[in-house]
Amino acid sequence: MQIREKILVVEDEKSIAQFIAAVLSENGYETVQARSGAEALSMISSHCPDLVILDLGLPDMDGLEILRQLRGWSSLPVVVVSARSHERDKVTALDAGADDYLTKPFGTNELLARVRTAIRHTRTASGNDEIAQKGTYTVGELVIDYNKHQALVRGENVKLTLSEFRIVALLGKYAGKVLTYDFIIKELWGPRAGGSNQILRVNMANIRRKIEKNPAEPEYLFTEVGVGYRLAEGE
Amino acid sequence: MRFVKLIAAKLFPISRRDLFVTAGILLCTIMVCSVVRRAGGIQGFAQPVFVLAVLLISRFTTGYLYGLISVVLSVVCVNLIFTYPYWAFNLTIAGYPLTFFVLLTVSIITCSLTAQAKEQARLLAENEREKMRANLLRSVSHDIRTPLTSIVGSTSAILENPGLSEREKRELLENTREEAQWLIRVVENLLSITRIGDEQARITKEPEAAEEVLGEAVRKFRRRFPDISVSISIPDDLLLVPMDPILIEQVLANLLENAAVHGKTTTAIHVSLQAEDGFACFSVRDNGQGLPGKNTAGLFDAAAQPRAHADGDGKRNMGLGLSVCRAIVRAHGGTIDAKNLSRGAEVYFRLPVCKEEL
Repeated sequence: MQIREKILVVEDEKSIAQFIAAVLSENGYETVQARSGAEALSMISSHCPDLVILDLGLPDMDGLEILRQLRGWSSLPVVVVSARSHERDKVTALDAGADDYLTKPFGTNELLARVRTAIRHTRTASGNDEIAQKGTYTVGELVIDYNKHQALVRGENVKLTLSEFRIVALLGKYAGKVLTYDFIIKELWGPRAGGSNQILRVNMANIRRKIEKNPAEPEYLFTEVGVGYRLAEGE
Repeated sequence: MRFVKLIAAKLFPISRRDLFVTAGILLCTIMVCSVVRRAGGIQGFAQPVFVLAVLLISRFTTGYLYGLISVVLSVVCVNLIFTYPYWAFNLTIAGYPLTFFVLLTVSIITCSLTAQAKEQARLLAENEREKMRANLLRSVSHDIRTPLTSIVGSTSAILENPGLSEREKRELLENTREEAQWLIRVVENLLSITRIGDEQARITKEPEAAEEVLGEAVRKFRRRFPDISVSISIPDDLLLVPMDPILIEQVLANLLENAAVHGKTTTAIHVSLQAEDGFACFSVRDNGQGLPGKNTAGLFDAAAQPRAHADGDGKRNMGLGLSVCRAIVRAHGGTIDAKNLSRGAEVYFRLPVCKEEL
């Protein structure tokens, strides 16, 4: 018998917790539920779930607090689900270590896709299998070659500049995950790089013009408006 | 003590603009009088001119401070420069206290009248805002009530009628989902309004890549309306536009949704972005039925929407969406307009590209 992944749903609204749990078990996951922050923390240590779905507005403590405590000792994937829709809240949660952020209301397909992505990322420590084994990352017709430092579209080198390649390489390492502007800038230009996102915008526009058919209809490099960028994930 | 300070600040506010206005008007007056004197003007001509100056200064500055300063300066000028003996300060000239008194009275009366007028304008604007808010609330309540009725009705029908066929149940559930999604739109629009804020519409703008915002809006739209084909055209060069990207995405989402829902027969939408001397122009064109009526001015007013439309009570009211669009675009210092094409409709808005001075 196949071992099913266990998901802890931390949500104080019963109706929402129920529908999330129903969708997850229908799709082959085992679910446990917690209604408060304290309960969630104790269940994480006792049940050892594979993934946590975390609501930020809990009765006894802020979900972000749980996330911070958890990140102190574990890299267990966490998908935040919240009614706070300001992009500032998203950025805060992502920078605090959340693997993904879903704003309520969300669709069940969206939820499942995020859960799958987050679980896949834990199985392969950092980045993904393919990069570790072959030194490349492939999605659709795009191939990122980490050894040769180049990106290929339909087999052809698209001639990215060094910083352009580094952005694509970084996004490829975390494919499927939203990387915040700040995170990308810090990874590329160091922690003391200025707060302006403009240089990143310009680089991204150039990359899209080289990789995408129509830069306004990206197939690979998606924008999460006000939050960051995400590279499509190969199935 | 604080109270006194507060009153003082209200009656005698200090602003650089007012200082310039005062200095400017006084200088002009002195110049005019000098010219007249050179041309051999008669004795005493300067006084009425300075009365006018004081009147103007009191009218165009805030509070009493600049009016009073101008009174003192005017008296000195009249006495020193334009009354015989020239360039000598002579307080014994007959009528001097009278000049002072006249100028003072003019200044105080004008200042208080100006303050009154400003207060009245403010009250009027506040009234207008209050009225708008009430209209908005009415429009929103209406928008919410209809889908809620359908949701409660459909779900009760399923729960209370176990005999319904699978197909019927499914239909009811699909309706429920549809209506709930409509409610989500309404709520998102309301959230946008709170983001703009109601006082002078201060928003945080940062240079954003317009194509990214456009692309995201279209991507989300395609997920919701997979049957409608959307084409996008953007300029070759990156267009960085100072904006609140979430709000502009909301505008585009509203326009796309309107094109799909209100166009009724819409099968294709074209979205374009263009740079036009200092502006970024976004346009959403559809091939649907076009806009109702000829008047596009009222289209963007939630209150001006024709309520008693032919098809019932108009649940799919585009008033809220469009008035939110206009509010957002205006808060960015842009303009929005709509027109009918030979087939379908076009809504377009322009946002200034160059940074405003701080």
